Amino acid sequence: MSIIYVLIPIAVIIVAIAIGVFFWAVKSNQFDDLERHGSSILFDDDIQSKKDD
Amino acid sequence: MSNHENCYHCGLPNDPQQEFFTTILGQPRQLCCPGCHAVATAIVENGLESYYQFRTEPAEKGDDALDITLAKLAIYDQPELQEEFVYDEGKHKQIQLTIEGITCAACGWLIEKQLIKQAGIKQVAVNVAERRAVVTWESATISLSKILLTIKRIGYHAMPFQPDQHEQSFINEHKRYLKKVGLAGIMTMQVMMLMTGLYFDLFGNIGHETRQYFYWIALVLTTPVVFYSGSVFYLGAFKALAAKTVNMDVPVTIAVLGTYLAGIKSVLLEEGEVYFESICMFVFLLLLSRFLEHRARQKAAQVSANLMQHIPVTANQLDEKGNLTTQLAKSLSVGDKVLVKAGETVPIDGIIERGESRIDESMLTGEFAPVAKVAGDGVYGGTINQNGVLEVRVTATLKNALVNQIIRLQTSALINKPKIAQTADRFSKIFVSIVLVLSALTFGFWSYLGSEQAFWIMIAVLIATCPCALGLATPSALTCAMANLNSHGILIKRADALEQLTKIDTIALDKTGTLTKGAFSIEKQVFAPEIHESTALGIAHALETASEHPIASAFLSNTDFTARNVKVEPGKGLMGHVDGEVFYIGSPQWFAEVTGHTLVVLPLSPNVILFNEHQWLAAFVVSDELKEGTDTVIDELRARYAMCLLSGDTQKQVDKVARALNIQNAMGEMTPESKMAYMQDAQRDGSRVLMMGDGINDAPVLAQADVSVAVGNATDVARSAADVIFLNAELQGVQRVIGIAELTARKIKQNMAWALGYNVSILPFAVSGILHPWMAMVGMSLSSIIVVANSARLLKKDLL
Repeated sequence: MSIIYVLIPIAVIIVAIAIGVFFWAVKSNQFDDLERHGSSILFDDDIQSKKDD
Repeated sequence: MSNHENCYHCGLPNDPQQEFFTTILGQPRQLCCPGCHAVATAIVENGLESYYQFRTEPAEKGDDALDITLAKLAIYDQPELQEEFVYDEGKHKQIQLTIEGITCAACGWLIEKQLIKQAGIKQVAVNVAERRAVVTWESATISLSKILLTIKRIGYHAMPFQPDQHEQSFINEHKRYLKKVGLAGIMTMQVMMLMTGLYFDLFGNIGHETRQYFYWIALVLTTPVVFYSGSVFYLGAFKALAAKTVNMDVPVTIAVLGTYLAGIKSVLLEEGEVYFESICMFVFLLLLSRFLEHRARQKAAQVSANLMQHIPVTANQLDEKGNLTTQLAKSLSVGDKVLVKAGETVPIDGIIERGESRIDESMLTGEFAPVAKVAGDGVYGGTINQNGVLEVRVTATLKNALVNQIIRLQTSALINKPKIAQTADRFSKIFVSIVLVLSALTFGFWSYLGSEQAFWIMIAVLIATCPCALGLATPSALTCAMANLNSHGILIKRADALEQLTKIDTIALDKTGTLTKGAFSIEKQVFAPEIHESTALGIAHALETASEHPIASAFLSNTDFTARNVKVEPGKGLMGHVDGEVFYIGSPQWFAEVTGHTLVVLPLSPNVILFNEHQWLAAFVVSDELKEGTDTVIDELRARYAMCLLSGDTQKQVDKVARALNIQNAMGEMTPESKMAYMQDAQRDGSRVLMMGDGINDAPVLAQADVSVAVGNATDVARSAADVIFLNAELQGVQRVIGIAELTARKIKQNMAWALGYNVSILPFAVSGILHPWMAMVGMSLSSIIVVANSARLLKKDLL
C-alpha cells in the first residue's frame, strides 16, 4: 500500500493544475456565455466555406 | 416547419393579401412582410441557411424601413461620437455592442458568420446570454456604420454600448464568487474521497501512520477552502460585528474556523476528531447559495443596462454666418442656435425661431397625436420633427432638458418606492442569536458534565442549525422562476418584484401603447358603388395630408391625387378641390349638414365619411385599435384586482377605451407628475399597485408603483424604471408573470417550511450529543439538495 504515498501527492498536484486551469478559464471569460457554445458544434459550416474559397 | 399560415422567419401570421417567398433549405417558404423577406434572403444569399436548421426560437420580425435606418447609422462614423465608446488600438478599433433580437444560440452564430465575411472585420465574439457582441475591425477598411448595417441586414439591431462601472464591479464579483465556489467544489470532492476511505475502515485495518498521512493531505487540501473560499463569510461576520449586530455569517464563521483549528490541533497532537470534509462541504454549499443569489441579481442588472443604449444625440449647430457644424447635443449651451431638419430628432430643449412643423412628442407625453408648433413655441429634446425645417434657439443645456428632468423624477421615485419589510433579515437575526446562545449553553452544559466531546457537540449544533437550506430557499426559487419567465420573453429586473407581485390588489394601466396599438388606423371601410376604392382612398389621402389631426395618419398612402384650397372646419372635417370637384371628409353630422340627407344604412357605424355635395362616397371606422386579446386579459384580471386607467390622452378617448374594456376608474389628461401623485395617494390608502406602461411619461409612475411592467416597445426610460419587461407587445404576459409569482411564493414557503422543520427537529439530537458533526453535515447537505430540487421544478416551461 505504500504506493499511495506517491499516488496521492501526484493526485494533489493534478488537482492543483486543474484549479489553475479553472481559474484561468474564469479569468478569460470562458464561463460568460453558457447558452451558446453548447450548440456551436452543430454548425459545421467551416468545412463548407473552405471548399467555396 | 412548412407552415403556410405563419412566417417562416419570425413565426408571426402571414398576410393573406401579400405573398413573399424565399427558398430556404431547399423549399419555398412563405414570409410575412418585406422586412422578413429581405432578412431571410440576405441570410440565404450569404450561405448561412443552417441558421434555420438549428435555431430553437423564431427570429424577430424584420424591419421594413431599412433605408431610413441606413442614413441614421451614418452618425456613428463621426470621430467625436466614436471616442466615447470605441477603444482605439492603433490599426484596429474595438467596440462593444448590444444586440436586440437575439433569441437563441443560432442567432449568435449567424451574426458572427455574417460579420466575419466582411473585409476588415478582425474579430467578432457574440455573447448570446448577455445579448452583446464585441467587434474588432480595421478602421481603414470598413466603417462602423457599415458594421451596424451588416447586422441590421440579417434582422438584428445593434447599438454601441458601454457597460457602466456598477456593472463592471458586478462582473468582477461574479468571477470571484465563481472561483471560490469552484475551488471549494473541487476540494470537497478530494477531501471527501480521502475521508470516505477512513469512514469505511470498519475493521481497523488502516494503520495509525496511514490515517495521519490522510489527515495531513486533507489539511493541505482544506486550507485554501477555509482561507480563500470561506473568506466571504468571515468578512460578512466581521462587518456585522463591527456594526454591533449579528447575521448568518457569525455562526458560520465560528463553525468553520472552530472546526478547522480543532482539526489542526488533532492532527498535530495525533489524537481527537478531524472533520475537514465537513468544513469543505459546508463552505461549498453555503457559497453555492450566495453565488446563485448573486447571479440572479447580476442578470437582472445586465438586462436593464442593455436597455440603456448608448445613443449619442447630434445637433446641427448654426453659427452667426449661417454655417452648419455637427455637434454633440451635450456640448450645446444656452443661446446656441441649431437647425432641425424634417424627420430628425430635436436634440435639445429650445424655442423655435424660424419655421413651423408638426412635432411628435409621443416619447414625452405618450400620445401619438403630433403637436403643431410655430415660431415662439417651445420644443423638447428627444421629440421628432415630422415635416418642417426648424431653427431652434437653445434654452436649456442637455442636462436640464425636460427628458432628463423626467428621468430625475423617476430616480427620486425609485428611492421612495415602498420597501417590502425585510422580514427575512429580522428573522435571521433572531434565529442567529438563538443559535449562538444555544450552542454556548450546550458547550457550557457538556463542559460542566466534564465531557470531552463538549466542543464537538457545540460544533454539531452550529452546523445542524446552519440555515443553509433556508438561505437557498428563496434565491433558488427566484432564479428558477426568472429563468422560466425569461424563456417566455419576460425579463425580471428585480428579483423581489416576484414576491411583491403576489401581494398586489390594484392594477393601473397606461392607455396608448399599452392597451392600444398607439396609432390610428382604418378599422373598417365601405365604398359607394359609384366610386372606385383606390380613387376614394386617394382623395381621402389628398385631403388629409393638409390636416394635423392624428386621424389623418390613418389615411396616408401613395397616391397621385392632390387637393387644392383645403379648408379645415374645426370639429367637423376638411373640404377641398380634387381635380376640380369639391370633396368633403369629416364627421357623419357634417355630412347631414352639407348634403341635407341622412346617411344610408351601412354595415358599420362610421366616424369618418368621404362625400361630395350630393352623396356619400366612402365611410370609414377609424380608431386607435386595442391590441389583440386585450379584452380577455382585462376581463380575467378584473375578477381579481381593482383596475384603473391612467392616461395622458383626452378624457373622452380614455373613457371610450375604458367603456370598451369595462374599466370603471379611468383618468385622462394626466401629466407624469399627476400620475405619480395618483399612485402615491393610492399607496397611502393601502393599495399595492401594479403599473403597466410604456412611455417616458410613465417612467416616474412606473418607478413609484409597487411593481411595474414595461410593455413591449416601451421607451428605454420606461424600461429602466420598470421591474418587469415584456419583450413582446402582448399583454398576456401579465397573467403568466402573476401565475409564476404565485407558484414561486408557494415554492418558497414549502422550502422554508422544510428547511426550518429540519433545523428545529435536528436540534435536540445535536444538543444531546447524539449527532456527530459529520452527520449534521450530511443532514444539512440533503436538506439543501431537497430545497434546490423543489425549486428546480419551477423550470418546467409549460407550468401554466
